[in-house]
Amino acid sequence: MILNRRSLMTTALTLGAMKAFPGLSYAQARPLVFATFTGSWEEAHKAVLVPAFRKANADAAIVLDPMLSVDQIAKVNAAKANPPIDVMLHDPGPALVAIGQDLAEPYPVEKSAYYKDLIAEAQEPMGPAPFFQVVGLTYNPEAIKTPPTSWADLWKPEFKGRVGITNLNSTLGTGWLVEIAKMRGGSEANIDPAFKAIEELKPNLAAVAANPGALATLFQQGQIDISPGNFNAIQILKARGVPVEFVAPKEGAIAFKTTIHIVKNSPNRELAFKLIEASLTPEVQTTLMNPPYLIVPTNSKVTMGGEIARVLAKDTAELKQKFVFQDWKKINEQRSAWIERFNREIKI
Amino acid sequence: MGAAPASRDVTSYGMGLAAPLALFFLVFFVAPLLQLLWLSLHNDTAALHWGLGQYLHFLTDPFSLSVLGSTLLLGAEVTAVCLVLGFPIAWLYQRVGPRLQTIIILIVLLPLLTSVVVRTFAWIVILGRQGIINATLQSLGIIDTPLKLLYTQFGVVIALAQVQMPLMTLPLITALGRIDPNLDDASCSLGAGSWRSFFKITLPLSLPGVIAGCTLTYAAAITAFITQSLIGGGQMLFMPMYLYQQASTLQNWPFASAISIIFLLAVLAVVSVFTTLGRMSRGYGGA
Repeated sequence: MILNRRSLMTTALTLGAMKAFPGLSYAQARPLVFATFTGSWEEAHKAVLVPAFRKANADAAIVLDPMLSVDQIAKVNAAKANPPIDVMLHDPGPALVAIGQDLAEPYPVEKSAYYKDLIAEAQEPMGPAPFFQVVGLTYNPEAIKTPPTSWADLWKPEFKGRVGITNLNSTLGTGWLVEIAKMRGGSEANIDPAFKAIEELKPNLAAVAANPGALATLFQQGQIDISPGNFNAIQILKARGVPVEFVAPKEGAIAFKTTIHIVKNSPNRELAFKLIEASLTPEVQTTLMNPPYLIVPTNSKVTMGGEIARVLAKDTAELKQKFVFQDWKKINEQRSAWIERFNREIKI
Repeated sequence: MGAAPASRDVTSYGMGLAAPLALFFLVFFVAPLLQLLWLSLHNDTAALHWGLGQYLHFLTDPFSLSVLGSTLLLGAEVTAVCLVLGFPIAWLYQRVGPRLQTIIILIVLLPLLTSVVVRTFAWIVILGRQGIINATLQSLGIIDTPLKLLYTQFGVVIALAQVQMPLMTLPLITALGRIDPNLDDASCSLGAGSWRSFFKITLPLSLPGVIAGCTLTYAAAITAFITQSLIGGGQMLFMPMYLYQQASTLQNWPFASAISIIFLLAVLAVVSVFTTLGRMSRGYGGA
């Protein structure tokens, strides 16, 4: 066994126990373990995806083990030969890390009944995207009477001291930075314009939140009136009576693929495949699109409805037109430099 | 853990009872710490090349050093606020009746009974633009536009001081309780004023408690990830957030390990200063 960085991350005890009692770690008959995300993701998957999977697979045993992407990667890395997780869920950045570290199995595309129905951007051979996350502008309709229409509106003088953003720790913060760069003539490869733009945004900035969740609190407390925001997070706030609205800016809403992967060396490969298949079905995606979940579907056979049809897109064609996808491979390469620069330059 | 010999030395104590905890620490604290050290001594994220590159990077980078500096300074500010506000409460505790004592101890302990997250969110509500402080000041006509309190150094210090206050007050109450109240009376009857008695008698005798309280508060304040990030926001960078960024977002574990080790050493240095002061004060108290 080669001791790489990750395997040393596990405690000495775990390593020792695994060596001494290999039977312990080869859980022959363990249930399928699906590492979803915490919070609303877990709720949605518990209520919709898991029942659909069990119904289609003779009540197969499944366990949800919600955790962050980075924790999924660390856990699988710590026991590559017999991973404690069978199905991983990732944002675009961590997905590339997981694939780069050889933790994901290629998706058996030819066996899949639904893969070909996914819209082109969701067809990822290393793990398809059953859901999109969408980032647009969030604002407080009580304080801002004319809805914003563009990212550029954040720079309007009337929003002096009313704008919130997040730092680059999150997918949201990083994706937004790239979009701002594009708006000012830059790209994933040329981020300079974005930093210049944030420099100009400083008089308007009321807060640079440490994570997207903190933005929600800031809206609730009236600390900010406008910010980039995640469509799903806003719906949850709205349902709780916080005055917030979501608009897709005219430059296009940023769409992140949330991809789902079979873990390499999973002892439950077949069931893992079945779970992912279930997540791609039009039935599951339709249910998840409706309230209270409002998760953007990726299967082109799903007819858009409700709030998603109202503020995002009525059909797949419009969705493709209104969503911008970003090159996370390029982003990942430079993200650490960007974070360092953000740390140094953005002080308000 | 061998059997005790027949003629047992009554002045020595068996270490057997400490073994379970020692083993626990060895496995879950010392071993991971050694892994951390091992990892930090690598120049690349895959941990294949040995070297001191991560430490060099940190120690030659003015920005990283400024993060370390501001974190240590934050701890000093919080500790000072806790000491100044906590000492009178502890002093009062020793001089009131039992019923008030119960109330004081309840007030002191109350923050410990709620989660840090809840306490911190309460501070967001208090410090916000439409929060209690701004609303009060505005209704009194003292200010026109809301003050910026949230996401400032001031806000972080105040919130941390409240969150960590019990760690200062409790050792102080214990230390002050050990002082014979007659000493104060004696000092007064010999002609010293109450301030002079305080500085000559009470304060020196309570120094062990002051040192213990400062050490605990300091260590807790500089590592308080939740309060720092919720009240300080995303642009005020302290060591715990810096570490999190490197480890979690960037997956740069060797650099994150090096940050941890440097942070650990810096904290140990500060704590050892406190301990040395404590040792000196014991000599002083005993004199």
